[in-house]
Amino acid sequence: MMDLSNIFNSISFVIPEIALSITIVLTVLFDLIFDKDKKIIPYIVLVGLLVTGYFVFAQMDFANFGFTVGDEKYGMFTLDGFSNYFKIIILVTTIIIIFFSSHSNEIIKTFDRSGEYYALLLGMALGMMFMVSASDLILIYLSVELLSLSSYVLTGFTKLSERNAEASLKYLIYGSVSSGLMLFGISIVYGLTGTTNLYELNTLLQAGSINLTTLGFSLILIFVGIGYKISAAPFHFWTPDVYEGAPISITAYLSVASKAAGFALLIRFIKTSFVSYTDASGNWHLLGIFDWQTLLIIIAILTMTLGNFSALSQSNLKRMLAYSSIAHAGYLLLGLAVLSDQGLLAVLIYFFIYMIMNLGAFFIVNLIANKINSEDIHDYDGIGYTSPLLGVSLAIFLVSLTGLPPTAGFIAKLYLFIALVDANMITVAVIALLNTVVSLYYYVRVLKHMYLNKANESTQAVIPTLQPRIIVLALVIPVLLFGIYFTPIVSFAQNCLNILTK
Amino acid sequence: MIDYIYLTILFPLAGFLINGLFGSKIKNEKIIGIIGSSAVGLSFLFTILSFIQLLNLPIDERTRVVELFTWLNVAGLNIKFAYLVDQLSIVMSLIVTGVGFLIHVYSIGYMHGDKGFWRFFAYLNLFIFAMMNLILGDNFLVLFLGWEGVGLCSYLLIGFYYDRKFEKGTVPEAAKKAFIVNRIGDFGFLLGMFLIYQTFDSLNFLEVFSKAEYFPISETTFSFIALFLFIGATGKSAQIPLYVWLPDAMAGPTPVSALIHAATMVTAGVYMVARASIIFASAPAIMTLVAVIGLLTAFFAATIGLVQTDIKKVLAYSTVSQLGYMFLAAGVGAFGAAIFHVMTHAFFKALLFLGAGSVIHAMHEQQDIRNYGNLKKYMPVTYLTFIIAAFAIAGVPGLSGFFSKDEILWYSYSKGNLTFWIIGALTAVITAFYMFRLVSLTFFGKERFGKDVHPHESPKVMTIPLIVLAFLSIVGGYVGIPEIFSGEGGNALKNWFKPIFAPAEAKLRTFGSHSHFEELLLMGISVAAALSAIYFAYVVYTRKKEIADKTASSVKGLYNTLLNKYYVDEIYESSVIKPILIISEKVLWKVTDNKLIDGIVNGSAKLIYYISIIIRKMQTGVAQFYALIMMIGISVALFWLILTL
Repeated sequence: MMDLSNIFNSISFVIPEIALSITIVLTVLFDLIFDKDKKIIPYIVLVGLLVTGYFVFAQMDFANFGFTVGDEKYGMFTLDGFSNYFKIIILVTTIIIIFFSSHSNEIIKTFDRSGEYYALLLGMALGMMFMVSASDLILIYLSVELLSLSSYVLTGFTKLSERNAEASLKYLIYGSVSSGLMLFGISIVYGLTGTTNLYELNTLLQAGSINLTTLGFSLILIFVGIGYKISAAPFHFWTPDVYEGAPISITAYLSVASKAAGFALLIRFIKTSFVSYTDASGNWHLLGIFDWQTLLIIIAILTMTLGNFSALSQSNLKRMLAYSSIAHAGYLLLGLAVLSDQGLLAVLIYFFIYMIMNLGAFFIVNLIANKINSEDIHDYDGIGYTSPLLGVSLAIFLVSLTGLPPTAGFIAKLYLFIALVDANMITVAVIALLNTVVSLYYYVRVLKHMYLNKANESTQAVIPTLQPRIIVLALVIPVLLFGIYFTPIVSFAQNCLNILTK
Repeated sequence: MIDYIYLTILFPLAGFLINGLFGSKIKNEKIIGIIGSSAVGLSFLFTILSFIQLLNLPIDERTRVVELFTWLNVAGLNIKFAYLVDQLSIVMSLIVTGVGFLIHVYSIGYMHGDKGFWRFFAYLNLFIFAMMNLILGDNFLVLFLGWEGVGLCSYLLIGFYYDRKFEKGTVPEAAKKAFIVNRIGDFGFLLGMFLIYQTFDSLNFLEVFSKAEYFPISETTFSFIALFLFIGATGKSAQIPLYVWLPDAMAGPTPVSALIHAATMVTAGVYMVARASIIFASAPAIMTLVAVIGLLTAFFAATIGLVQTDIKKVLAYSTVSQLGYMFLAAGVGAFGAAIFHVMTHAFFKALLFLGAGSVIHAMHEQQDIRNYGNLKKYMPVTYLTFIIAAFAIAGVPGLSGFFSKDEILWYSYSKGNLTFWIIGALTAVITAFYMFRLVSLTFFGKERFGKDVHPHESPKVMTIPLIVLAFLSIVGGYVGIPEIFSGEGGNALKNWFKPIFAPAEAKLRTFGSHSHFEELLLMGISVAAALSAIYFAYVVYTRKKEIADKTASSVKGLYNTLLNKYYVDEIYESSVIKPILIISEKVLWKVTDNKLIDGIVNGSAKLIYYISIIIRKMQTGVAQFYALIMMIGISVALFWLILTL
């Protein structure tokens, strides 16, 4: 039984989440009060996010179990450096997306419903915040559903085109199937072990005497649920369709924050439930019941290869970036597959950098689409000359996504490959490297259109106003700066490696 | 102040950013010039303050590391971005920022009206930024960063007049030549750096050098490291066989020649050798090589300088020759003397170039000394300062060049041998001769320019730097008065450098003793010879021009050989460049590239493209199909699970 004092104690661990919930309520309230003038809502949301962020920073060094059951030591909510790192990524992404939305024509056109838009966006954020801290299968399921339901709505939010509605419906169908399978998996685990708590699951697994085939089956089903969130192959098929159909701001949000939350969930799930101990050099030793490493490597290679190869022949930039984000999920999965602290470090660093460069690329595509109403690569001919700032910035983001120096993307890949080589996964590293080479083609193709092709009649100059210009610079400068001076990210990530285990 | 030494590097960077980003919008030359010059001026000020602080520290505390941040910490390689302030680096910094500041000021006048005024100052500041990193870096990687940075700036500035012709080719060709030749040297430097990391497991100066001093490491290893580093130095500091780029570098604006291609960047190789003195000292064979290469370069470049007719070309070969002296000094183990000559050379050679710039400015871009004459009448300040510099480089006693050159010559005998001294002294005589050939043809004799040319003295903004440099060329040598005059321990500069070079000198362990008489005798001979060469050149080229013409025609073969610079460019052209071009066209391009590589690349690209189309077809857009694949995925995973159990 969960007694009251326990709950009160635990509440202090979820202050950021509470702050975020209050912000959602306020957003809805203000939406009702300010019927006509809704300009104020984004600011309320921003303030709410900053306050939430402040609370996250305030508990940066804490590590604790929250919401324990009875006399048990371990709870359903875990607060540690790892969760805080991802919470910061989620909050920063959300803040950037708020700015992003205020410069997206698709969102501006539906301005009268902006209260709903921001409330749903925050709903997604709240779901993610719980996802990265969840250490109980029930909480995991609930938070995934909270995230999913909000994102289904937001995908079809603008109702401007058929494409939009189609994307939303597809997402819903596909998502329901996945979460159904996941819930099925969870119920089997509960049936086998009698617990939904990851820590207790770990204890029971250590003790043995569990039917491994059945357990493996359930784990695969749970993995489907998470794999669909991080768009790992072969559960990624929804991604391009949904990304292309959704408003660009939501696409960007899904490709960064939602993916980050999914990864955090997967990492915690594996580390907490299936690692018996971590040795001095930081290698995770799995319980010998389920070969996560092989599964992850296969899925990772499949994901990055499918993502990269599909991106090759795309001429719609949004769709290309969708495939590219699938490929990046593949690289990230490899970092996890190393199953060591060094691999985890690589994943954390990668996510931070991926956040900046991917949001930057989407933002510029958004700014250009605002003006020319197209995301087709052929409409980008000569745009590097007509719109110098956007051209150069997009070039930098794409080079960084490829992973070439002197951009931050190189540092991300560098740490990833070092982790792979250190773990003697040379073959896998070579495959990943070859994949990077393939990705060079489609990223550089955009540069070719922007700089080597002459501007034609359909090319229009896109000169952003001051605020978007500042946002672009705020994203470009870190990409270049962290490419040369990356110690801050590395030490920040190093401080957040701590995943609370038993 | 030492703790803020990074400011001396940030000021020029700020200047570069301001002028580089907004220069085209500022437009006002004065503001651009002031921003550029004051950036370097402030840097100079902070260097002086740091120098004073260093002076007041006890001798064993004069090595300070200023750490900024950890730059790289991956896979066992830990590189800190840190600056090393010690006796050596502070002297170099003083030279670079001090002379650099004067040249910046001078450029305000010289570059007046140029359409690329802001670009020029931006590049110049970027150069100082890179050069300061090179000098102050506390490990080989930061040094290399600066090393490449100055190479880039040199390239940009040689090619500054990118739309002009230069000699037989164009300016960009000259810039490219410098870039490519330097790449060869840099490759050597990189190899040296890799070898250092492999041997010492570190790139940090203090760590590497202390290990080099105390660890048992084979001489072969040291020899290879020193050889590779020296190859790097021959590229940057224009020594045989890689000196060919420096004369062509004169295609750049004259202040650039003064700053980069005379006073500072080209001495980077000498600095690097001096910095790694312990490594070189541990490889005696390479030390001899350094000395011989330096000596030969000094001699041959000086002979080429005898017959050149372009004022900047004469100075360029003179620079190559003087750099040879510095390597001679380093090669015999007199690292302090090498740096001493770096300093005095910076003063008088910068002055010579700036004076030449002033003349060129007055003569409407005319650079052929056969078309000058009697300019002392029109340009008194330029004339006076120029002749002071010429006396200094010729080694007239009392001026700065005398002290440093004499020290080098003496060590070339006392630590080397008599042959070194003879060739070195002979070079000094030739130097005196060609310098006064240049002075006589330019400032004395009859006016040989057309009536439409009206030479005039340059504006104050140009002449004041000349005067300051002239002052330095006179007094700059008194920090290093030879002990024979100043008494035991009286050479201030030598004492200053002592802690830096002591380990290397201890390792070299040369010398028997030499008497004061020997030193005075050799000094007397070389001074007398130089003075007579000055007089001889003056007489021949102002009054009895026919002697020169007669001599030239009587040894026509030799004359032409010298005029064509020993045909080295032609030899390189036919022995290296042509074969490479032929092989690259006939074999590498037409066969290897077109057939083999393109075949493989295009083939794999096609393959990837087809795969991509197949994969793309899977993306049907039908949700049921997606679900089907998901189920297939789950089934496969299940089978795998069952099979592995």
